[in-house]
Amino acid sequence: MLKSTITRLVVMLFVLTLLASGCAKKPVAEEPVISGQTAVEVQQQQPAGVVEQQVTDTAPAYDAAAVARAAELAASKGLNRIHFDFDQYVLTAAAKSILVSNAGLLRAAPVVKILIEGHCDERGSDEYNLALGDKRALATKNYLVSLGVAAERMNIISYGEEMPIDTARTKEAWAKNRRANFKVKR
Amino acid sequence: MTRLIPMGVGAEQPAVAEEFQQVLQGDLELSGLFDLVDPASFLGDADKLGLRRTEIDFSQWRMLGTETLIKGGYSVSTGKLTIELRLFDVITQRLLTGRRYVGKLADVRKIAHTFADQILKSLTGDEGPFSTKIAYISKRTGRKELYLMDVDGHQPIRMTDHRSIVLNPDFSPTRKELIFTSYNKENPDLYRKEIYTGRESRLSLKQGLNIGGRYSPDGREIALTLSKDKNSEIYLIGTDGTIHRRLTNHYSIDVDPTWSPRGDKIAFVSDRRGNPNIFIVDIRTLEVSRLTFDGKYNATPAWSPKGDRIAYSRMDNGVFNIFTIREDGSDERQLTFGKGSKEHPRWSPDGRFLIYSSDLNGGEKSIWIMRTDGTGAKRISARGGNDSHPAWSGRW
Repeated sequence: MLKSTITRLVVMLFVLTLLASGCAKKPVAEEPVISGQTAVEVQQQQPAGVVEQQVTDTAPAYDAAAVARAAELAASKGLNRIHFDFDQYVLTAAAKSILVSNAGLLRAAPVVKILIEGHCDERGSDEYNLALGDKRALATKNYLVSLGVAAERMNIISYGEEMPIDTARTKEAWAKNRRANFKVKR
Repeated sequence: MTRLIPMGVGAEQPAVAEEFQQVLQGDLELSGLFDLVDPASFLGDADKLGLRRTEIDFSQWRMLGTETLIKGGYSVSTGKLTIELRLFDVITQRLLTGRRYVGKLADVRKIAHTFADQILKSLTGDEGPFSTKIAYISKRTGRKELYLMDVDGHQPIRMTDHRSIVLNPDFSPTRKELIFTSYNKENPDLYRKEIYTGRESRLSLKQGLNIGGRYSPDGREIALTLSKDKNSEIYLIGTDGTIHRRLTNHYSIDVDPTWSPRGDKIAFVSDRRGNPNIFIVDIRTLEVSRLTFDGKYNATPAWSPKGDRIAYSRMDNGVFNIFTIREDGSDERQLTFGKGSKEHPRWSPDGRFLIYSSDLNGGEKSIWIMRTDGTGAKRISARGGNDSHPAWSGRW
């Protein structure tokens, strides 16, 4: 009962304002009609807007391709390189924690294939370093396999000391160069 | 050693005599066997063409204290170069060796090197190595490619255009052919290249490393490192690329094979006892013995062609120097000292010299040559190339 009186009041107010505005712009005869039309347009637009919202809301529309693309992108950008101690191919604790995060990205993007590159610093002989880089890449691959990344998705290559990222002859540069890199192959 | 004198018909070409003199003198000095007499002290006989024993005034040469005398003449006609050379024993007034070379004008250097080889042969019984070739890796184009040059560093020629990474060449002992490793097809595969035809093929392309290929002394097999077993091991393959035999079986790193001249043993690098050291494997029994015990990092062994010693490089405080040792592990000698890493020693075919790479010039590597006692060290490759991995051909 109370509610209906309020609505009626509101309606009356609305009509009054319409009339008031109509009175104010009396010299132009068609004005009220026009304002009435605009009011109708507003009414039509509003439901249309609501409908749009509903589509986006009720459609979590599982787009597998888009998700996979996002995961691939995340994997191709987010695979961090790891570093090794001198003349070592054993994974350090820091390297392992990076690989845990890399494995997460790879598991989320099962179509992504990667190439793991093993690298060394310039100290040591070329051939020995090629073999050492091979062992580094393999240790990296094996750890990722243990974290649930399929072995078939990963190839390895050793560049030994042939591709340093920092050619300076400092401890810092050497530490940077002793690494395993990841390249997404798809 | 006298200056070449124009002989017979044809125009005089002082530049020919000059270049010949430089090349021959360089070779003789490098050999370390000669103490050349200063031409300023030469007497009248040096200017006379007389190449016959009876035409030479040996008393003049004896006065200068010389023991041997090299005299020669040249002639050039229609682009054809003729050089006639004689080596005399001044004391006994005997002709030791005499040669006449006919070639193109551009062959001056080759003729000088060839005669230098003859001089060593007639004086020592062992032919010199000066007319052979050296293969090496250079980064002159910005990428590591394979090159070939003379023993004195002249006439460098680029052999590959892979535009990837080319590594570690070796000469076939029987054919004009080289093997090397290249990343051309996204894996370090072993390639073979015929030097004169330029024909090239992949010889070993197993997944993983196909590196450090070395021809057996008879040219029938190649020892190399493969990592197809998830670990680097030394293998023997045929010249068609098929695997003949696996020589090592250890979880450690095994690389850098080098053949004994008899072809029955191979020295290689392994970290099976902790640090990289040199070991020897008997090809028949596969028995492995350890060669080096001193130092913390011994690598890149090269067995001498005479079989008596093995050269290698040892890293101490981050710097490599070259050592030699007997096959039984005795008589270890250090040949190079000081700053700058000297690596990858390889022997000349006569065992008189070693070539190696050195980064003495502040980081950039060059190819150097020295006598096997460590004396006479001399840079032979031009600056600016970052040159490494030299290999010496057999008789060319």
